[in-house]
Amino acid sequence: MMSLATSELTELLSDWKHGDPSALQKLTPMIYDELRRIAHRYASRERNGHTLQTTALVNEAYLRLAGGDSPDWQNRSHFFAVTAQIMRHILIDHARRRRFVKHGGEIQQVPLDEALSMTHERAAELVALNEALEELKTLDARKAEVVELRYFGGLSLTETAEALSVSLMTVRRDWRAAKAWLFRKIKNDS
Amino acid sequence: MTPERWQEVEVVLQAALDLPATERGALLAETCSEDPDLQREAMSLLQAHDEAGDFLEQSALEQDAQVLLSDDWIAAIAREIGPYKIIEQLGRGGMGEVYLARDQRLDRPVALKILPAYFVSDADRLRRFQIEARAASGLNHSNILTIYEVGESDGVHFIATEFIDGKTIRELIRAERLTLGELIEIAIQLVSGLSAAHAAGIVHRDIKPENVMRRHDGVVRILDFGIAKLVEAPASEMATEVGALLGTPAYVSPEQVRGQVVDERTDIWSCGVVLYEMLTEQRPFAGDTNADTIVAILERQPAPIFLSEGRSRALRLIQSIINKALHKDVSERYQTAAEMLDDLRSVKWQLEFDKKLIGAQTRVAEIPALVTAQISRSHQRWLAIASIAALAVMLLFVGFLFRRSILSRTDAPAHATRTYTQMSEAEQLGFVSEQEQRIAAMMGDRPVKLNDEALRAIKTQVDRYVAPPRPGGDSLPAIYGRAAPYVSVISKAFSARRIPVVIGIYLPIIESAYRPCYENSIGAKGLFQFLPQTAAQYGVARADMCDVNKMAPAAAHYIADRMAELGDDSQSMTLVLVSYNRGANSVLDALRMLRETDVNYERNFWTLFANRDKLDDTFRQESAYYVPAFFAAAIIGENPNTFELQMAPLSTQANGAVARP
Repeated sequence: MMSLATSELTELLSDWKHGDPSALQKLTPMIYDELRRIAHRYASRERNGHTLQTTALVNEAYLRLAGGDSPDWQNRSHFFAVTAQIMRHILIDHARRRRFVKHGGEIQQVPLDEALSMTHERAAELVALNEALEELKTLDARKAEVVELRYFGGLSLTETAEALSVSLMTVRRDWRAAKAWLFRKIKNDS
Repeated sequence: MTPERWQEVEVVLQAALDLPATERGALLAETCSEDPDLQREAMSLLQAHDEAGDFLEQSALEQDAQVLLSDDWIAAIAREIGPYKIIEQLGRGGMGEVYLARDQRLDRPVALKILPAYFVSDADRLRRFQIEARAASGLNHSNILTIYEVGESDGVHFIATEFIDGKTIRELIRAERLTLGELIEIAIQLVSGLSAAHAAGIVHRDIKPENVMRRHDGVVRILDFGIAKLVEAPASEMATEVGALLGTPAYVSPEQVRGQVVDERTDIWSCGVVLYEMLTEQRPFAGDTNADTIVAILERQPAPIFLSEGRSRALRLIQSIINKALHKDVSERYQTAAEMLDDLRSVKWQLEFDKKLIGAQTRVAEIPALVTAQISRSHQRWLAIASIAALAVMLLFVGFLFRRSILSRTDAPAHATRTYTQMSEAEQLGFVSEQEQRIAAMMGDRPVKLNDEALRAIKTQVDRYVAPPRPGGDSLPAIYGRAAPYVSVISKAFSARRIPVVIGIYLPIIESAYRPCYENSIGAKGLFQFLPQTAAQYGVARADMCDVNKMAPAAAHYIADRMAELGDDSQSMTLVLVSYNRGANSVLDALRMLRETDVNYERNFWTLFANRDKLDDTFRQESAYYVPAFFAAAIIGENPNTFELQMAPLSTQANGAVARP
């Protein structure tokens, strides 16, 4: 029965890779919930000033979800890529909502939890980055993908190269050009 | 800029970036002499490159981890969505977050359901949902939740509904003992609401105790019409562990499980399940896994609700209503909610008649007639305690058998004269089946007869484990590949028996050959890494990560913390996968020291070593030593010899009870 679960994940990842949009909708809650669960566990013991190691988090999520099978590197690349996309959706969605929060009389009621949430500046930054990234995608889709994997998926250059089946050299060059392009774009727009 | 132009710019930019900073200007001037625009463009990007610094270098998640952690961020910032002001979070489910909010225009409370981005990112799906939800919002019936608005504000999609001050049927089942009268009253209102919806051509598809609420004034409301369709998963998904995240199939009709077209009769089935559960506190179709539940839905008859001597006619009537609602063949079921409603009403009359006869209102659980198929709650609790006790006994037993098998191999059962690999396939399957049943029995559970599919799955894992190692040794991924399946096998074997398992996967990078692992993560693919940051939290500096004396205690504490996360770890099992060459014994020693402070650790902790150096012939003999009885208990039972494996639980080793072979 365990093989069912695994082939399910494998199938969804493969559907997603082949451009089936419904696969992403099925993968998202699955992966999001797993990431949340793991993040909560990390946070419960790392109270103050911690940062999450993205790679460790995603690795663990993959291991848990892929569970029944021996780790499959091809699968794992897809998993990382789809997770990067999901993280991007989540963060941008969050940032968009955050930006629209109204300032005013109620704000002093804000409990301590507010510190947990995103700052307005950060939200604006993410939304701007997202827009710039969309534009970059029309110019040079692979560079946009490299940024998504690196920035939202937390992948190293090597892992990004594996995920995209290109050389490390290519990723390195894509990364530096994309960074320069995005930096300029965001700076000029703001 | 066009993609073509960008390509030209990039060529120049990359060429310049390949040069030392001082020579870049000259290169641009030279290559772009005929295209000043190109030069300007490349120059400005070069400048951006130099200014970018650590822009984007820290991954987003590391900065925004709190987004994953905050459950109630909306509530936390006194958010307004359209005219609605959020007051507090009521819940969070697969379909998004639900908030109590105030409609500031009408000054009334509303329940605001916010759809998660991933459900609304598909325009088509969103449109279908809106059509459905708006149709449902047209339903005007006292037993159907009123939908005020299906809308969108600043990119946030929401549904605003009437706020119900009351309890879900789930909460009622848990918290209160419903009288038979109350039960019938709820059922009548529920079916009456459905009847109205069906008349309007709307099928709910997801009737379950969580989706039906009773207000304090006794009015019952059905929630979430139309929403089920949005998240509905085909049965093939529900059969999997992964799909389990999408919800329990316990209330789903056979035709829905099969992924066939469903109509209003699917709601009638679900009502039958809810009624059965309200009456007996048991689900008519239940299984340890969703797959088992689905099999029960498709093939099994629910345990009868036994009626004994003092039976009332009302109870007999309810039983027959439930039976009719739970007909697997849709054509044998109630064909309309209205029919079911008629029968429920007649129970109500009968009940009122009975009441006059008996005089007093009788509580469901007190009616002697209702000696149902249920195992009472206290009995369940007792079973849980018993199975934990049985587990402890079993572990001792396995340890004992292990020792005995070493001391006196002649006691082994007949088939153990042949090793697993020498058996025929049928014998192997028989063996696995036999062991599984034995374990189930030992754990105080009812004996489990696994189906062929499950047996084969387990056998596949066992086969993989006993496969001879490749000549020349295995690569690190191969080792993980071999070890990892046991994590889920063991976890499933135990979770099926409702024993929580924490599995810590621990890979300290202390071997010189893998030292670069934590830098490029090549060596630890797919598995949890003991990263420098984690190490630092346990008092080991990055530079000391190769020092066994420092890493071993850190590792032991790390593992112990993972175990402690379960809270009362006397009810848990912990499996730790350790992989490295040196220092295994140091970690063991450190753990033993820790365990002395807590007897539970002794009982519940097992270690599975995937030890690189030992994955040769020596490993096959010695791993036995490391691969725990935990594994044996799950799959191999008491016959490790059959697998040419000898294995001892850590606790046995700690007691010094086992000598190395």
